[in-house]
Amino acid sequence: MLRIMGAYQETTQVQSEHSRVVDALPGLVWTALPDGQVDSVNQRWIEYTGRSLEETRGWGWQSAIYPDDLPGLLTRWRSTLASGEASEIETRLRRFDGEYRWFQLCSFPLRDDDGHIVRWCVLETDVDDRKRDEALLTGEKRVLEMLAWGYSFPVVLDALCRLVEDTTTGCYCSVVLVDLTGTHLEHGAAPSLPASFITSIIGRPVNLDSGPCAMAAYLNEQVIAPDLTSETRWAEYEWCPMAMAHGLKACWSTPISSTTGKVLGAFAIYYDKPRTPTPVQQSLINRFTHIASIAIERAQSDAALKTSEARKAAILNSALDCIVTIDHEGCITEFNPAAERTFGHRRDDVMGKQLADVIIPPSFQERHRRGFARYLSTGEAHMLGRRVEMTALRADGTEFPVELAITRTPIDGPASFTGYLRDITVRKQAEEELRRSEAFLAEGQRLSRTGSFSWRVATDEITWSEELYRIFEFDQRVQVTLELIGTRVHPDDVPLMRDMIDRARGAGSDFEYEHRLLMPDQSVKYVHMVGHGIRHNDGRLEYIGAAQDVTQHRLSEEALGKARSELAHMARVTTLGMLTASIAHEVNQPLSGIITNASTCMRMLAADPPNVDGARETARRTIRDGNRASDVITRLRALFGKDGPTTESVVLNEATQEVIALSLSELRRSRVILRTELADDLPPVRGDRVQIQQVILNLLLNASDAMSGIDDRPRHLVIRTERDQGDQVRLTVQDSGVGFEPQTVDSLFEAFYTTKSSGMGIGLSVSRSIVESHHGRIWASPNDGPGATFSFSIPTSSVGVATESGPGAERMSAVTKGNG
Amino acid sequence: MITGPLITIVDDDDSVRESLPDLLMELGFAVHAFSSREEFLASDFVRETKCLLLDVDMPSMSGPGLQLELRRRQQEIPIVFITGHGDESVRPSLLKQGAVDCLFKPFSETALLAALNAALQTSFNGRAKCAMDCEQV
Repeated sequence: MLRIMGAYQETTQVQSEHSRVVDALPGLVWTALPDGQVDSVNQRWIEYTGRSLEETRGWGWQSAIYPDDLPGLLTRWRSTLASGEASEIETRLRRFDGEYRWFQLCSFPLRDDDGHIVRWCVLETDVDDRKRDEALLTGEKRVLEMLAWGYSFPVVLDALCRLVEDTTTGCYCSVVLVDLTGTHLEHGAAPSLPASFITSIIGRPVNLDSGPCAMAAYLNEQVIAPDLTSETRWAEYEWCPMAMAHGLKACWSTPISSTTGKVLGAFAIYYDKPRTPTPVQQSLINRFTHIASIAIERAQSDAALKTSEARKAAILNSALDCIVTIDHEGCITEFNPAAERTFGHRRDDVMGKQLADVIIPPSFQERHRRGFARYLSTGEAHMLGRRVEMTALRADGTEFPVELAITRTPIDGPASFTGYLRDITVRKQAEEELRRSEAFLAEGQRLSRTGSFSWRVATDEITWSEELYRIFEFDQRVQVTLELIGTRVHPDDVPLMRDMIDRARGAGSDFEYEHRLLMPDQSVKYVHMVGHGIRHNDGRLEYIGAAQDVTQHRLSEEALGKARSELAHMARVTTLGMLTASIAHEVNQPLSGIITNASTCMRMLAADPPNVDGARETARRTIRDGNRASDVITRLRALFGKDGPTTESVVLNEATQEVIALSLSELRRSRVILRTELADDLPPVRGDRVQIQQVILNLLLNASDAMSGIDDRPRHLVIRTERDQGDQVRLTVQDSGVGFEPQTVDSLFEAFYTTKSSGMGIGLSVSRSIVESHHGRIWASPNDGPGATFSFSIPTSSVGVATESGPGAERMSAVTKGNG
Repeated sequence: MITGPLITIVDDDDSVRESLPDLLMELGFAVHAFSSREEFLASDFVRETKCLLLDVDMPSMSGPGLQLELRRRQQEIPIVFITGHGDESVRPSLLKQGAVDCLFKPFSETALLAALNAALQTSFNGRAKCAMDCEQV
């Protein structure tokens, strides 16, 4: 360039040729006088600006400068002129069609041989594309920085819009978003558009008809409306009239898509004149759309992160468990409020401190450090992912049990851990109490030989307590089944058990029964079982129950029964002693008859002639009296022979009459006037005939005794049988003897209580035990007049049959077994 | 036909009142049986009775009681007690009170005859003594 200018100076002959060269330069050129007045321009200048040399000459060029740039340019031009040094400046030049483009103006002086400036040469190079790219890059960088720095989403979008508007002169820019449901438009940014325009767009449905942005978002395609005055689309929503009312004539709307292809919104450029995008503009739009999508995605992931952070904070803050996180060095990085409460440390005081120093008791610290170090070096974890119980330390130095679960936080980089801790003091206490109460229960079960069970009827799942295993002598590891139980049940009781199971399955009602077990060593156990049926909400039936080993009880009951039986026998023998005279009389009377009659008979036969008729009569009497004696003996044997108790149907009146027959002579001897009032229609009772007779005899003899000292009044004795209430029959013996003191009524039936000098006092006691074993009761009451009345009542056999299926009947049969 | 001395039986047992008279009659005695003392005392046979076979265990008046009553009436009849209770202890007191004998049921024909003979001997002696007393008077 210098050489060119030098040549211009030296040889004017070649001026026209030079001017052709200058015209051919890839830039605009003008020259100016030392005072700054332009005196020539090249052809390209004229073509670009559309201004002639005359219009440009002097200071006329100023009209081609972008007004905003002019003051700075003039200042710089003057200072260049003043300094005489070459300079560069960038400014926008107006093109002939009104568009401004950036140019770099390089000014340098042309000097003569003396060094004086003779001219200024200014070369203007079109740098618009570079400038635009630079601005765009700067803008993009700024927007991305804003994103990175966490500027709020609307601010970032706003900046993006402004960048577009700055880069593409004369346009208005907006971003709309598609809402979360994907159905409507939301406001994004529109810094230069009127609010009324924005508000009329926001909320429009995402479809083909509600407007260009909605349509672009709907189709995920660019929508170009170059001239709204002739636009026919979106008429249904009257979008074009609305836009034109705001002075807009063109709209280019481009969808903003996420990296996954989801439409996030639309980016729109509006012009106040009809326009179609140039390829350059199209590429710009693509760039901005891309940035917008980054911004929106980032904003959305920020929002998601914020939500997640908020959620995490909420979890940390509201968690009932202590949450403590530590880094790879074992330093605390999080300490939530529950941890603060539990450990008594403030979060701020413990953050960054070694976990071991804060919450682990000194005795465990070394172990913790070793385990932590081992994990970090070898990856061998004893604690991770497990729920463990350990001892923790509070700020006040107290130790308490905690449950702890540690997980490794799944992030890249150095290891970090999250610990969930829970104070389990209360639970430990409850567990301890439960353990104790279980121990008590087990001990109680062991001591009382009572096991408990549950039986889910539908599935036959059976659960047994330890003691029940012990009673049945099964290994506790064995799964109990009905079949298994069946192998222990005494063969004789298997039908009983089957019947019980069938009944329980059907009815769901409570059951109670007693059966025997036959153990492997052939010993027999008695088990008393009670089951309570529970019907669950879903209809399932379950029995909860208890089974008691009543073997000892049963054996002692048997022994007691035997003792009672012995006692009863002894009582009978005692009675026999009292009856000796009476019995001898009863026997001797017929014997006497026999001997007398036999003697008579012999004499009658020995007579001459023999008195055969008389002999036959006396022989008949002999036989009769023999039978009579035999009857007495039979009765005596029945009453005093040592036969075991039996259960039979007993007609009370017959039994009573037999007793009366046996004791009649004794009563007579005691001058007792006996009256019997036996009811005709009594149903039979079920029981042991001899035992019942023993009671009657005992009452009779007692009554007789009570009257033995009475001489001032007749010794009346009434035996009465009658129906009692509740299917019972009652026998009453009423005497007119000495009676008893009312306060002694309770002790009358106690063993060895007696008012008689000769009695042992076991009669009434034995009588009571007999009556009670017949499910009856016995009582005494004073008479209105002299004497006392003793009564007992026992159930009739119809009642007895009913109770036979109950446990009482079982127990009774068990009692009787040992006495046979 | 029956000419032997009158033996009177007082016993509440049917069997005794039935069998004993037949035997006594076979032995040649005249017999009357009563089921109670009152009946006997009210009858006409008191004076003629040469021997009384008396059951000890009578519900109403006891055997010894009858003996006293007879003595009061100066109708002393030899009494042979019979008892079904087999209680030997009563025997000495009965004999002491003047009974001829005490038979325990069941008794043999021989024992009965011996007792009756003893009683009748007493009765005879008594009568003789009585007659002698009268003659002396």
